[in-house]
Amino acid sequence: MSGGWVAKELCEQGFKVAVIERGRAVSPQKDYTDFINPWDAEHLNRKTDQDRKDHPIQSNVYAFQTYTRQFWVNDNDHPYETAEGTEFRWYRGYHEGGRSIMWGRQSYRMSEIDFEANQKDGHGVDWPVRYADLKPWYDHVERFAGISGSMEGLDILPDGVFQPPHDLTCAELDFRDAVESTFPGRRVIPGRVANLTEPTQEQIELGRGKCMARNHCFQGCSFGAYFSSNSATLPAARRTGNFTLIPDRAVHKVIVDESTGRATGVETVDVNTGEKIVVTARVVFLNAGTIPSTMILMNSATSAAPNGLANSSGQLGKNMMDHHSGARGSAILPGHLDKHTFGRRPNGFYIPRFRNHTEEAEGFVRGFGYQGGAMRERWWSAMGKKGVGAELKSETQSPGPWRIGMVAFGEVLPNEKNHIRLHANKTDKWGFPVPVLDVAWGDNERNMVRQAIKDTRAMLEAAGGIDIQTDDPETAEPAPPGIGIHEMGTARMGRDPSTSVLNEWNQAWDIPNLFVTDGSFMTSGGCQNPSLTYMAFSARAANHAAELLKEGAL
Amino acid sequence: MTDLIFDRRNMFKSLLAISAASALAACGGAEVSPSESSSDGPAERAETGGFFGPEELALISALADTIIPATDTAGAVAAGVPDTVQSLATDWGDDAFRTYWRNGLTALGSALNTHVGGDFVSADEDQRLAALTAHDASVFDGDIQDRFYRDFKATVVQAYYMSEPGATEELAYEPVPGEWIGCVPLADFPKTWAT
Repeated sequence: MSGGWVAKELCEQGFKVAVIERGRAVSPQKDYTDFINPWDAEHLNRKTDQDRKDHPIQSNVYAFQTYTRQFWVNDNDHPYETAEGTEFRWYRGYHEGGRSIMWGRQSYRMSEIDFEANQKDGHGVDWPVRYADLKPWYDHVERFAGISGSMEGLDILPDGVFQPPHDLTCAELDFRDAVESTFPGRRVIPGRVANLTEPTQEQIELGRGKCMARNHCFQGCSFGAYFSSNSATLPAARRTGNFTLIPDRAVHKVIVDESTGRATGVETVDVNTGEKIVVTARVVFLNAGTIPSTMILMNSATSAAPNGLANSSGQLGKNMMDHHSGARGSAILPGHLDKHTFGRRPNGFYIPRFRNHTEEAEGFVRGFGYQGGAMRERWWSAMGKKGVGAELKSETQSPGPWRIGMVAFGEVLPNEKNHIRLHANKTDKWGFPVPVLDVAWGDNERNMVRQAIKDTRAMLEAAGGIDIQTDDPETAEPAPPGIGIHEMGTARMGRDPSTSVLNEWNQAWDIPNLFVTDGSFMTSGGCQNPSLTYMAFSARAANHAAELLKEGAL
Repeated sequence: MTDLIFDRRNMFKSLLAISAASALAACGGAEVSPSESSSDGPAERAETGGFFGPEELALISALADTIIPATDTAGAVAAGVPDTVQSLATDWGDDAFRTYWRNGLTALGSALNTHVGGDFVSADEDQRLAALTAHDASVFDGDIQDRFYRDFKATVVQAYYMSEPGATEELAYEPVPGEWIGCVPLADFPKTWAT
């Protein structure tokens, strides 16, 4: 996700870029499975025992199917441990493009409110940037990536450079009206998603086309209609002639010349042969994903940096965040039985944060936003209800009532206790230390989830929902860390080298030609899906590095 | 996205992704870990032409076509549902799954034989429908517990609507819709979308 952006920007600035990828090169013809019909899937697309053996963790993710298993790591080859009494679901894929192939594509800007949050309530350290620093880079990445969305004028969720939004369904429009009239501080808007609804000339030239409304993006998209590194940034990097992909090569260490204090390159291991190969470079960007990038720095410890490279602050590996989920709700929305939908929207609605913003909150700071959708029930409801024969068939041939589903994603506070470390003696089969994840949510997250459930119920009730289903707001717990698949924060940026790993340019305080622009730089998490923010910071950092290189400062 | 959210947050049990072991656990069977359970391989069973024998297949077919009969479109048998069930047992499930299905079918067949006062498989269509309607109602009204019947019916329904005739003739299927429209008259697209 972020690495493709760095490659594109640096290649376009005229620099030779080698992208080192620990997994295989991906070919749309071979790896994408987006033309599979329901009847093509073997055994009703049910996961096999072999899937459970090879992917005991990954097979639980929503986007793991019998025809997408190629995009999820073999858990036996990529072990990790969790500290006693903690749980962490680490979902990932190691291949060219990484999780940008399987991501949920929801794309939201962080706001000034988010960038000020740590300073105002004292959790974590202050971001070294503000919204105005990022705005031009959000514009830049949205224009290139292609984000569908609507202009809303909200301070909590800044507008951007949008392609036309996806319509809300008739039931969602009713829900919106009910929520907005009952709770004047809340808004229900079309989701903002990285799918092309009106491709630009630049996107068309890269071979990308309009979204065909199939909604099985995580199988890969032969139309290149959603943003992935594979469809967008890497082709843009390739066409400059400055780009080299080095697949099947895991980075184990950043090599530093102790006499100059600069990175000289990386030590890599060929994942097929075990051969160690050094790749040298004037500048090193780490974009391996939050946990791997952090581990690489830890594994690069030297006598001058015994606790890990770029870790003079002692903050490396700490402050792990995600977005906690767990507040889910569902109901039938009455009416509109003479209406239907056409196509499959790869998107839904979004309710921007209102707690501790337009509405107060008790027992927690920060807030949460919701994603959801309301569609007519389809045949699967016939799997579990009374009735057989021609009557069942005939009932199922007409769509069922409109059912709404929604889930809150909440901000997690930066907390030094939530950390990752290298195992003292266990390694993977390539000799790289196994990570130990020690992350647990606290009272702020728990109280927020419970409020989010109460708010869910209130909104479903306001919309006249029937058969409202939520967890019990008095006893619910946040879903375990990792489930949000937004792990971030373990090499945070800040204003002070004694309390942060990176400066405002994603540049390591300790090593001037080392940058980290995946989720590990995040100083706080907001409650928005973070990938768009990774993109904006990556493009910004790459252009800053290019300027420094051109000035001879690097 | 609603589907994704439901799946992603495990709101409903994922309908399309149940392993043999978890299906069994969900059915109240003993916990069997996948590594312990797949003792015989598909190849071995292939020689015998599949796990279920002819009598079992006849019962599966009679049940499937009673749950989803031929109307102006194909019924479950013509849509290949019994083949899918055979293949699930033969190539996908483990021994515990197979045992659960074999025992479940035997018990279900006996219950339905009692309903028709004879042999369910050779009874006529109306008798079969009456028997199964009664059994189905007592299960879904909560009068009797029959988890196997619930699983069997769910599998037949899923296999039918995922089949080509089920998806494209009985329901409506658009592999490449081309665009999204959030609110259209039902009269323009009256059938349930298959996906």
